[in-house]
Amino acid sequence: MITVENVHKTYQTGDTAVYALRGVSISIEAGEFLAIAGPSGSGKSTLLNILGCLDHPDQGSVTIDGQEMVQLDKSGRADYRRHHLGFIFQNFNLIPVLTAYENVAFALNLLNIPEAEIKERTISILREVGLEGMEHRLPSKLSGGQQQRVAVARALIKNPRIILADEPTANLDSTTGEAILDTMRALNERHGTTFIFSTHDPMVMEFSRRLIQLRDGTVASEREGAPR
Amino acid sequence: MKPTQTVALAARNLRRHRRRTIITAGAVAVGLMMYIAVDSLLVGVEEESNRNLIWYETGSAQVMHEDYLAERDDRPLKYTVDDARQVQQALEAAGLNATSRIVFSGELIVYRDPFPEDGSVMVTAYGIDPDTDNDVYRLPQTISHGSFLDPGENQALMGAWLAEDIGAEVGYPITVVTRTRHGYYQTIDLEITGIVNTPNPMINRTAIFLPEDVAAAYLQMDGAATEIAVAGRLGQSLPELTEEIEQQIAGAPELVVADWRTIAADVVALAEAKEMGTGIILLLVFIIAAVGVSNTILMSVLERTRELGMMRAIGMRDREVFATLITEAAGIGLIGGVIGMVLGAGAVTYLVEAGIDYGSIMRDTDVGYRVTQVIYGAWNLPVFGRALLVGIGIAVATAVFPVRRALKMSVIESLRNA
Repeated sequence: MITVENVHKTYQTGDTAVYALRGVSISIEAGEFLAIAGPSGSGKSTLLNILGCLDHPDQGSVTIDGQEMVQLDKSGRADYRRHHLGFIFQNFNLIPVLTAYENVAFALNLLNIPEAEIKERTISILREVGLEGMEHRLPSKLSGGQQQRVAVARALIKNPRIILADEPTANLDSTTGEAILDTMRALNERHGTTFIFSTHDPMVMEFSRRLIQLRDGTVASEREGAPR
Repeated sequence: MKPTQTVALAARNLRRHRRRTIITAGAVAVGLMMYIAVDSLLVGVEEESNRNLIWYETGSAQVMHEDYLAERDDRPLKYTVDDARQVQQALEAAGLNATSRIVFSGELIVYRDPFPEDGSVMVTAYGIDPDTDNDVYRLPQTISHGSFLDPGENQALMGAWLAEDIGAEVGYPITVVTRTRHGYYQTIDLEITGIVNTPNPMINRTAIFLPEDVAAAYLQMDGAATEIAVAGRLGQSLPELTEEIEQQIAGAPELVVADWRTIAADVVALAEAKEMGTGIILLLVFIIAAVGVSNTILMSVLERTRELGMMRAIGMRDREVFATLITEAAGIGLIGGVIGMVLGAGAVTYLVEAGIDYGSIMRDTDVGYRVTQVIYGAWNLPVFGRALLVGIGIAVATAVFPVRRALKMSVIESLRNA
């Protein structure tokens, strides 16, 4: 489903070139629950950004379902993200002026889906992530865990092929983080959506069915199976 | 994203920063209120000035010799309507109110006792027909002291400021030295019978009036007058009036009709120059509003960099983000515009009812406009609509730069922003 071949990425910081990725090649199947781990500066966020069409490699290719992502222009990448990708951010990144319901529905508003369908799907997904009865609360009236559940619902509501989660538990306590991971894995199993995390949280690594360890911009190790 | 959703999101964000929105919209509102108030004053001044021109100097239109208009400022007596009575009667027969005048320049000479001191001053003298002048002009209503003129009597009405300047009072004798129609020096002895305090500063400052038949005799006019003034009918346009008068004087090819706008072209030009005045006010409004709105949108964008990055990350197109932020700016302009209209309406109400007393300035300075004392505003409804559009336009125009700047940042940079 996702093929990353010999991807290189370099950033220029002043006069210094920072090699974020040095020939990374991985393959990800549909429905995987995958963590990309590694220390700070290992290239995991860069890889996640490239997979999420937020950045493009200097060299190499990234294909998703046979579609070469590198060839897409800015607008094409935005369209791909809009239709096929879901994002969960470390800081939740909810729109503060919108309620939980509106934040989730926002992703469908971008797709110009009929209002009745938006309502039905939004209420359903909020119930699924355990936020029933909190639909009309603003983010400021929700706990961190609840906000992240809204973010998960927002990512999942458009039935994307892939959900990319950048350190989704980093701002949560361990109990809440574990609950969120439980929710995400249940959704992964129920909907067959591919989840890809970047993390350095051992709990997330333990939760994942597959773990790719990056070090200095290269794949250092891979672990298949044996999730908790 | 549907336009209604864009508007709803923009409205929420405006509410989110309520205080900032109100302050910025307030700046826009104050600017627009100034614009509306200044426009009201200028329109009010223009309307009153025009009215005072027509009522005290020009009438709605005048019949005159074809060469008179170009030299009218010199008050020449050589270009005249020779058979003034016949022309006036023809106009009256057509149902128009008309009156003849002999307008000339002269040196007004006064002597110590009863005047405070000897002296002379240049004046514009109007020989008017006491029986018909009031059909076109409104002098009798402005007499502050004394009485109106009687035909055949050596009497004079004097402008109030002129009378004040030379210490004149009703009953005082004056002498006007001038030249006759044939160029001979002539002195006219008159007695002040009344003081006129008109709303027209030119009349107050430099005019004396005497009976037309007295002026005609001294100036050897032989039935001629310098101008026949006509009052327009209610609702009649100037071209219609001009055409009607022209039909009545068709038999006298040396005569022409000039409407008041043509006669007082300098005052009309001054009024047109007011457009520049409102332009300057608009520029000030623009600067005030532009700085305020630009700053607000910039702050708003900077604060929400990560939020905007998230929106773009989940697939919101740049043009949709642009539309949302520009709608916010338009919202500030709309709020400012509406408040500005309300404040403007209040200011105009005050100016229309109470006016501004510029008496001391108008008394001593000739600003061109034919207005005195209190300047009143006037309602000019189109300017309210224009103010609203200007408010929104300025807000949108000045928001473009900070929004574009925000969208130049990559999504990743936006998301990293703390």
